[in-house]
Amino acid sequence: MNGIERLREKRAKIHAGGGEKGIREQHKRGKLTARERLDILFDEGSFVELDTFVKHRSTDFGMDKKEIPGDGVVTGYGRVCGRMVYAYAQDFTAQGGSLGEYHAEKIVKVQDYAMTNGCPIVGLMDSGGARIQEGVNSLNGFAKIFYRNTIASGVIPQISAIMGPCAGGAVYSPAITDFIFMTDKTSNMFITGPNVIKTVTGEEVTTEALGGATVHNEKSGVAHFISKDDRSCIEDIKRLLSFLPSNNLEKPPIFPCTDDINKAVPELNAVVPENPNKAYDMYRVIMGIADNGEIMDVQPLYALNIITCFIRVGGKTVGVIASQPKFLAGCLDVNASDKAARFIRRCDAFNIPMLTLVDVPGFLPGTGQEYDGIIRHGAKMLYAYSEATVPKISIVTRKAYGGAYIAMCSKGLGADLAYAWPTAEIAVMGAEGAANIIFKKEIEASANPQEALQARINEYEDKFSGPYKAAEMGYIDDVIEPQESRIRVVNALDILSGKRQSLPPKKHGNIPL
Amino acid sequence: MKMYKVKVNGKIYIVEIEEITGEVPQLNPEAAPAAEPAMNPTPQIQPISMEPTAPPVPPDPTPDVTVVTCPMPGSIMEIQVSVGARVKEGDVLLILEAMKMENEIMAPKGGVISRIPVTVGESVETGDTLIVITNH
Repeated sequence: MNGIERLREKRAKIHAGGGEKGIREQHKRGKLTARERLDILFDEGSFVELDTFVKHRSTDFGMDKKEIPGDGVVTGYGRVCGRMVYAYAQDFTAQGGSLGEYHAEKIVKVQDYAMTNGCPIVGLMDSGGARIQEGVNSLNGFAKIFYRNTIASGVIPQISAIMGPCAGGAVYSPAITDFIFMTDKTSNMFITGPNVIKTVTGEEVTTEALGGATVHNEKSGVAHFISKDDRSCIEDIKRLLSFLPSNNLEKPPIFPCTDDINKAVPELNAVVPENPNKAYDMYRVIMGIADNGEIMDVQPLYALNIITCFIRVGGKTVGVIASQPKFLAGCLDVNASDKAARFIRRCDAFNIPMLTLVDVPGFLPGTGQEYDGIIRHGAKMLYAYSEATVPKISIVTRKAYGGAYIAMCSKGLGADLAYAWPTAEIAVMGAEGAANIIFKKEIEASANPQEALQARINEYEDKFSGPYKAAEMGYIDDVIEPQESRIRVVNALDILSGKRQSLPPKKHGNIPL
Repeated sequence: MKMYKVKVNGKIYIVEIEEITGEVPQLNPEAAPAAEPAMNPTPQIQPISMEPTAPPVPPDPTPDVTVVTCPMPGSIMEIQVSVGARVKEGDVLLILEAMKMENEIMAPKGGVISRIPVTVGESVETGDTLIVITNH
């Protein structure tokens, strides 16, 4: 056998992963293999594998006789829609995709390359966890990955997809990255598994109910996307990448715009109901502004009272943060604050201009919220908006009350262009409450308190509700017709495209976590 | 009522299974013909057929219930359903006035309304039960 034949044979053996039986098992579970997944991710023929021949060096517990193809992970780089991306995919067919010292080293290598070369990195997780036979070496391997996740945070986009088990310490790599995808029914994430929980607390729970895709997308807020299977998960990742720049020194890619940028959207004039107490669907407003009405929703199933999504306007990526009056009246609560703050920081880190659509009656009242720390959670939103130096555009569609008005990218927090629709109500609180406080004594002393109160409510409404008081003070740059919104956003992005703002040099801020 | 074939120690019994809801009635020992005691004082190992003879597990007798709780403090403005009504997922059940807004509370799952513990005008707190739906 000559050298070339030998190389081909060696490579073929490793490419077979856990062998036919393992691959059959993987398919039976509704999962694709690591290599099949990478084939879908990368443009045809563009994937270059690294470290194919790396082997573990463990000798304990019979490991010296154990061959693990590729040490349970496939790593490398290639092109996704023409752009360079690094990736690694854990191979569940090879020793359960367990993470040993050299499995970790392979991942660390692509992390380092992605950082040095300013390219996004995608991790496809499907692993039983730490390789127990390798003891503390595998733990150190995890630590090295987490460390790089952290250092790379805000420099290159890091995307994780959970496509099988991801348990114990392993969850913290995805947790530190920018986005987590999960495949429905075939993925799960948890710190302690059902067996440990049963031993310790006696509670019986299935893996799906404990850490399935639905749980993390709806309840915990750990994941950001749910996909029905492997293929659609990877297609979603590719779509997300199209909204992001390759690194923090670049702007997001601009796509040819197939929608009219000078288009008035008359439907928007009819979105806000006449009765100011009735809800409406804020998605209609977002779709009216977005190119072709297309949205990529981030965390669409979590904290429904706030919407965070990517759209394109005039072909350019825009991050949208929008109140959703249909849920919890659009109030800000602990979960909505966390969801929004994280999204704002993603946009700022990756030079994505932000559009904030405001219809917020206030922070959600109640002991539950106060005990859960709405003060420190809400603070994250204020902090994130203030700190963001990307173009910030806001439109108040209706309610903007009190602290929540401030939190939703008010002029004072640094909105570059703050617009309001004529339906806007911008005030410190509702007219009734305000009149009751300001004129308390006068109303009590009056012969007809009910009438006196009503008169004062009307007076307060005239003076302070509506968009015009704020516009008079310059806190609103202009009051616009709803149908002009898209044109105004296109124009704002244009005028703000050269925005340059820098924060004072510091080690890092101290965001209230 | 469903009928099942149950095989005990090689002998086949026909059993009827009825789902009991509400109060459990006193069983009349005569009404249920006592099955022949299957206990054999000298148990012999009998060849067990590999055919799946075990009956399918009868459906869970406790029906699946969805409790719709109050998402935020407010007062009940309008109740749009009544006990016994069948609802689909997403149907509006009631209007909760909160934060000066008329909030539509929708059915998270389809089923039949089995309980409405609140009345119009009542003040409700986060977590209070608003409506109970039995999912069939």
